[in-house]
Amino acid sequence: MGRLFIKLTIIIGVVILLFMPVNKFVKDSYDYNIDHEILAFKKHPYPVDIINLGASHSMYGYYFKPTGLSHLDLALPSQTIQYDYKLLKEYGEHLKPGGVVLVSISQMTFANSEAKNIGNYYKVLDRSDIEPFHLIDYYSYLYLPGTNTGSLTSAVAGKLKNLRWDSHQPWANNGKNYSGRKYMKIEDQYREAEENNSIEPNVKQLREIVDLCSEKGYKVVLTIEPVHQSYLDYFDENVMNRLVFQHIEALNLDVPLLNYMSDQRFVDKKEYFIDPDHLNSEGRKKFSWIVYEELKRMGYL
Amino acid sequence: MSFISIEFLLFLAIIVYLNYLIPHRLRWVLLLAASYVFYASLSFQFILLLFTSTAFTYFTGILIEKQETKKQKKKAMIVGISVLLFFLGWFKYFNFVNESLRSLATFMDRGYAIPYQDIVLPLAISFYTFQAVSYLVDIYYGKQKAERHYGYFSVYFAFFPQLVAGPIERAKKLIPQLKVEQRLNYENLVYGMKRIAWGFFKKTLIADRLAPIVSSVYDSPNPTGSEIVLATILFSIQLFADFSACSDIAIGSARMLGIKLTENFKQPHFAVSISDFWSRWHITLSTWLRDYIFFPLCKRKKKRSEIYFAIVITFLVSGIWHGAAWTFVIWGLIHGFYRVFGDATKSYRESIASFIRLDRSPVLHTWLKIATTFLLVCFSRVFFRSDSVAQAFDYAKLFLSISSWSPVGMINAFEIFPLLDLLLFIFYFIIFQMFQYIERNNGSTWAFLSKHTIYTRLAFYIFLIFSVLVFGISGNGFVYGGF
Repeated sequence: MGRLFIKLTIIIGVVILLFMPVNKFVKDSYDYNIDHEILAFKKHPYPVDIINLGASHSMYGYYFKPTGLSHLDLALPSQTIQYDYKLLKEYGEHLKPGGVVLVSISQMTFANSEAKNIGNYYKVLDRSDIEPFHLIDYYSYLYLPGTNTGSLTSAVAGKLKNLRWDSHQPWANNGKNYSGRKYMKIEDQYREAEENNSIEPNVKQLREIVDLCSEKGYKVVLTIEPVHQSYLDYFDENVMNRLVFQHIEALNLDVPLLNYMSDQRFVDKKEYFIDPDHLNSEGRKKFSWIVYEELKRMGYL
Repeated sequence: MSFISIEFLLFLAIIVYLNYLIPHRLRWVLLLAASYVFYASLSFQFILLLFTSTAFTYFTGILIEKQETKKQKKKAMIVGISVLLFFLGWFKYFNFVNESLRSLATFMDRGYAIPYQDIVLPLAISFYTFQAVSYLVDIYYGKQKAERHYGYFSVYFAFFPQLVAGPIERAKKLIPQLKVEQRLNYENLVYGMKRIAWGFFKKTLIADRLAPIVSSVYDSPNPTGSEIVLATILFSIQLFADFSACSDIAIGSARMLGIKLTENFKQPHFAVSISDFWSRWHITLSTWLRDYIFFPLCKRKKKRSEIYFAIVITFLVSGIWHGAAWTFVIWGLIHGFYRVFGDATKSYRESIASFIRLDRSPVLHTWLKIATTFLLVCFSRVFFRSDSVAQAFDYAKLFLSISSWSPVGMINAFEIFPLLDLLLFIFYFIIFQMFQYIERNNGSTWAFLSKHTIYTRLAFYIFLIFSVLVFGISGNGFVYGGF
């Protein structure tokens, strides 16, 4: 048995040695630290004028620093509306009196019920807010992210951005391939959500966000960020009515909706986008100014 | 607690440690408790059904043995099997039959009153029911004595390494092993660990890497023909890696406790005919079907047509066992047809091979047979994987369409993979194939490795564990765990 013990010790020892740099690589990656701004805010909070919620469209959508507004970005990739609510509850207290909450509505807002990157919330939320919470997943995500293949793949993909099929590049076929794939994915997700009856709870959650805002005295605005024409070709009025607007209308909310999805200032300008549905730094600066001015005009700021 | 989890590995380590720590007379208590804890962790609500089925089979076995005449024994056996099959039928097939009758009534413009029942399928019921049936039949035929020790019998019925997805064991093989004192054995421990590691490798680096790719095509509203061909071939690889990984972990876990389970696979995708395939794929189910369905059906039958009928019925049972859906019924019938057609045309095919002088190139001939068998199996799996009969026929048509096999279409179809995932899959698939190649040529890859230096062996084990740890994907259950 001593032989077995020595062999196992050697195997485990070498595996740990090999694993350490991989773990560090993942820990240092952009995707693993995507919540770093929220974490920094959590450590040193300050009063803010505006908070934005939502998924990646919102995360890549706003940069209010040039406008002089103090801003907290609570949007994270694939964020479900349940986590929008949880984050707002956790961080809303830092909103200045009369501050504005931008609730970003995307094509998947009502279809998305399963948080894919639950690890993003381990540090920014209380454990009791995480569902489902597994102790082993929690500790392995925090201390051994190299064992999480999703995190590793994201980290590697972040370093090898061009390691994709030509047809999978964001602007291949003028963005149509990307937009087409996204459309199929969202349609699948929506169909699944319909089958699992998860649309209604998501719609209800939006009402709860609005109710929370009115209870706390926050001004709430629904927003839809600009997209490129290739994306708009798939998500036309009919599709958007089915995926989004019918649900918002049914809620009959007394809040404004700023819909910039087909805004002509962006729709055919690739230079403002990373890919057909995410703004780049230049695009988000321009868009944030537009939103800022509109909020001012509405008397929200 | 899935096999593919740290929880299971810790659980197994504790059970193995305690098993060798306590005296032999108490081990059945430990194994029984471990088996029930394992089952309850996966499916708590059906633990009572497992207790009931165990007790019922135990007492029925004794009852059969106590009967004096053959006729009485037969009666007791039939009642016993009927009750067991009633449980299986109620939980697994009630809605299938009910919905089929409803469709038939609608088609015939008749009313149908029995509503759909919300029935959850108890975990592992297909596997332990088949074990129970074989136990009762073996007692009836006098091949097995009714086990009087309730503890050992319960462990046989619910032995945690093979409870969820087999191998389907016979009492005469497992119970004696449980009764013999298994001493702590270095070879058993090491072999068990290797099999478990290899199971983890196949499951997390092959099967679960392919699962989302295959789903993306099969769940897509309008896949291309080439995508269906590629996804179906990949599904065959996924299914084999998935199920054989489950068997590897079961066999490895049992071996660490000193128990030898039956091998369930012998590289089925290298079979040279459909009959050869079924002697290599899910061997414990195939032999079960042979012994308890095919042989009784063939009793006193001499005509070829009667044997063929028995073959088709056997495969039909196999299809129905897999799942309560018409797609599985058709899948079973396809294999029944393959088997009958293969047998009926054997001499013609041999004559053709001889005529075109293919038999003079045995290697080429063998590989041609392997490729044909594999593609026939793949075609049948279109039905196995599809969600409905209509979808299965649509995809089967695409699979058979010549244009689906165009090289350009097939190359483009690889774009269903993200490029990084494809590169990783190719790398690990080559390792997987090398392992199988060594196994084919040396009998056992582990024995082959043992001839090499300690450094080579350690490097391979480190590679396995590191790969699983870093690149392994987990989270999907085993495909056969759903049966």
